[in-house]
Amino acid sequence: MKNCRYADVRLGIHEVKYAHAENGKAKGMDEDASLSFGIRMLAGEMSAWGFYSQSIGGSEARPKSFGEILTLGVQKAYARAIANAHKKAEFKPFAPSLTEVTLARVNPCRDAIDSVFDEDPRAIPVKDILALCIKISGAMHSIGKDVRYAFLQVQTGIHREVFCSSEGACIDQAHALTQGTLAVVAQKAGGVPEVCHDYLGDLRGWEVLQGKNIYRQPLAEFAGMRTHETLELTEAEFLPATNEPVVVVTNPHFNALLVHEIIGHPTEADRALKLETAYAGRSWLLRDLQNNELGKQIASPLLNAYSDPSMNGYGHYKYDAEGTPAKRVNLIENGICKEFMNGREQAAILQHPPNGSMRATDPHSVPLVRMTNTVFAKGDKSPAEIIAEVKDGYFIVNHRIPSISESRENFRISAQKVYKVESGKITKLYRQGGITADSKDFLMNIDAVGSDFSVFPIPNCGKGQPMQIMRVGNGGPTLRSRAKLTGLRT
Amino acid sequence: MMIDTGTLRTSVRNGIEFIKKQRDVIDAEVFASWNEHITVRVNYTSDIPCNGIHEPKSTQGCGIALRVVFGSGKGIKVGLGNSANDITQRGIIDAFSKAKRNKIYDPDFLSLPVPIGEPVLQNYHDPETMEIDDETIVRLGWQGLKGVLEEYHQNRFSTSIIAGGDITIIRERMAIASTKGIDDFDESTILTANITSMVERENVKGSGWNTSTHVSRFRPEDAGRESAESAIKTIGGERISSGTYDVVFGRQPVADLCANILIPALSLSAVNASDTPFLGKLGQKVASEALTVYDDGTIKGAIGSKKISCEGIPTGKTSLIHHGFLTGFLANHYLAKKFDSRIASFIPRNGFRFEKGKRSYTQQPGISPTNIVIEGKEEISSRSLLSEINHGIYIGRIWYTYPINGLAAGDFTSTIIADSYVVKGGEIAHPLRPNTVRINSNIMDIIKNIIAISNDKRQTILWGNEEIVLAPEIAVQGVQLDSISGFIA
Repeated sequence: MKNCRYADVRLGIHEVKYAHAENGKAKGMDEDASLSFGIRMLAGEMSAWGFYSQSIGGSEARPKSFGEILTLGVQKAYARAIANAHKKAEFKPFAPSLTEVTLARVNPCRDAIDSVFDEDPRAIPVKDILALCIKISGAMHSIGKDVRYAFLQVQTGIHREVFCSSEGACIDQAHALTQGTLAVVAQKAGGVPEVCHDYLGDLRGWEVLQGKNIYRQPLAEFAGMRTHETLELTEAEFLPATNEPVVVVTNPHFNALLVHEIIGHPTEADRALKLETAYAGRSWLLRDLQNNELGKQIASPLLNAYSDPSMNGYGHYKYDAEGTPAKRVNLIENGICKEFMNGREQAAILQHPPNGSMRATDPHSVPLVRMTNTVFAKGDKSPAEIIAEVKDGYFIVNHRIPSISESRENFRISAQKVYKVESGKITKLYRQGGITADSKDFLMNIDAVGSDFSVFPIPNCGKGQPMQIMRVGNGGPTLRSRAKLTGLRT
Repeated sequence: MMIDTGTLRTSVRNGIEFIKKQRDVIDAEVFASWNEHITVRVNYTSDIPCNGIHEPKSTQGCGIALRVVFGSGKGIKVGLGNSANDITQRGIIDAFSKAKRNKIYDPDFLSLPVPIGEPVLQNYHDPETMEIDDETIVRLGWQGLKGVLEEYHQNRFSTSIIAGGDITIIRERMAIASTKGIDDFDESTILTANITSMVERENVKGSGWNTSTHVSRFRPEDAGRESAESAIKTIGGERISSGTYDVVFGRQPVADLCANILIPALSLSAVNASDTPFLGKLGQKVASEALTVYDDGTIKGAIGSKKISCEGIPTGKTSLIHHGFLTGFLANHYLAKKFDSRIASFIPRNGFRFEKGKRSYTQQPGISPTNIVIEGKEEISSRSLLSEINHGIYIGRIWYTYPINGLAAGDFTSTIIADSYVVKGGEIAHPLRPNTVRINSNIMDIIKNIIAISNDKRQTILWGNEEIVLAPEIAVQGVQLDSISGFIA
């Protein structure tokens, strides 16, 4: 094809079984496979992107039919890239920063990666999955009369994607994914409902739900624990908000969402380069290529943070959606902002080495820069010691819902539970509270980093247009800093 | 490959004939759809090398979905099955075998939908959009960017400019038939331009949007121009101190609050999960008498309009809040039947199979709004609205609005990121500096404290949301605003 500079094709098949139930009643089950592809192409004299994708039916999956569909897709992607490149050249006199796309160089890889599991998801009868959902959601519902709603969904499956590029890359990667999703609503008569949503999952087989997970608990125990906690909260007082920062100790589950929002997202290079200005926002870490926080102190010297797809967790993979080998990216070292997660195009603009952080939710979505397993690094203080040193403060336990400023410079994140800490002891439990702070203030005020460390599954990170929902791993140790409490205003 | 509605109709009718002959089948519904979601993403940075238009792209999907009710001893079981990209007899057989395999006993499932009334809308799609070619798609994207750049250049801004957003085109076709007598089809076209632009060194951001059901009336360049005008107008913004303010919420914040907080709480899905502050309040006063909220899928020219739901029920007007009283919840057939005798009767007009904005055979019918309309009892002009609050804040765009303690608690938080002003003596006094204020409030307090609603509504779209809000501006007393991000200054 004339002036075609680059093309890649991703072909994926997802084999998934799932079931869900409410209050001990069956609501649905399914086992199915879906096949789809996406073609990305760079073409034109002033090279520009074009993309085409679609799902494929079972009858079209035969090589001849599939070859014809793929050829049509290539022609569509090419036509779009050419039309886009023509317009780019036409607009160049009015907009000098328009430039042809350059991709940072990577060595084309050829590899095959199998999924990892002890118990093959394909061997689990979907009726057994439904029975589990009915049993557990029924057990949750019967824990107390004030449990108004108990929902459980379980999915398990194998996801395989083949990536081939015009540069010669050919990578066949597969992973298993097993996840339990729960929701519980508890309410005292005449009171305000208390709601809990949480997940248990990993990129492994059925064993995840039998205890091989971050909680080291079978799904039934985990669901029971969250239900008991939710019930307990209906008896608690509402947390009073404060107008001034107080000492807060945040646990690893809470820090999973915190690191996701105030470290992970602002260190995604596409945000930093303003590509998400209209949607998920920019990054306060990069105003422009000359004026930015790279190499500057943005956090306490005690704090390190990194993104590592080679670790186990929802952000694990060996090659990203551009075929770039995945690697650990040190985001913050001793409080200094060091690197951004990037793809080949952003790496070329920033003149950084490509670090393999491009992912798409499925083959028919375009790849974006995505955090991987993005975490605060562990420190050397025991969590017990961190709390014992607090004369007057609060222990913020388990994340709930975030709201973050546009460039990630301020956050409010609610917690499932907040405890008062007095003279080093955890005392009173509060409900419907959380913390708010300017991101840099919170990071700079960190004065203790725990020796504990956990990575939690975050299955629902939204980004892009149309929005893609991505699984990522987030976590870290216990931290201590300062923030205002959010909750009841008097 | 595009599939026409005639082919979809033939497929679902054939499907019903096939299923009727199968053993143990009591009832069945066959749904088939073809959709294409086309997006052209705007990405311009004057000081960083960029593409202008990042990638023209599309996702296309076609398939068939079955809901089959099987006799099972003394009870019934319901099974769902679908087949991708194959709406022939083979696809129907494949989907039926899945439905049979997946059948379950759900005590809350009572029946499939029955025909109700006649559709209001007929033949409201744009044939030209159905045939739109790749060059036109790309051109529309660049038109959006052109509007931004022309406006900035005319005002002598050429550096520190960012323009982002998208031009999105959705082409939908569906058909449905059932043993209950439903046999209908729908075809719609939606075009939206949603553009945000900035003069970053001035720390200003503006929003602009344009919507249409027909390409001949679609003006992406207007969205671009509007975003630049709005950004320029807010140069020189100032901070405010934390406190309680009377505010006017502009159209985007009204749409944002509706889409993320209010409307999810006014759905039977939320009632089913006991996760709404409106639980047990049907018929009670829940808001200022100034407020009326309804869903209406029949508004001609509105991009949320549909002829029928994905359950084959004609769209219509569903009252949710009328003069401050809670009058209804959005419903699909399943939950309307479940709650029919317990709370009230609900017309299941909102059973849609939306997925990324289009009607997908892969989804079960959930509950989604169409066009949400906000009305005032006695609507006034935008200017009078400022007089109503006298001193306060005009909030033009908010971001990351979430029910921070769960929907039922009603608490929400959000940051003010653009298009906003300080109001003094009933007049715009000066711009508010973006990204320096966080709203911390409760939706029940907001709707109770509404003092006036403007008479100028506009179709307003949001990132990641299915529905359209015909949003006016709304004046509200006593909203908690907190100063944030001091370190950036």
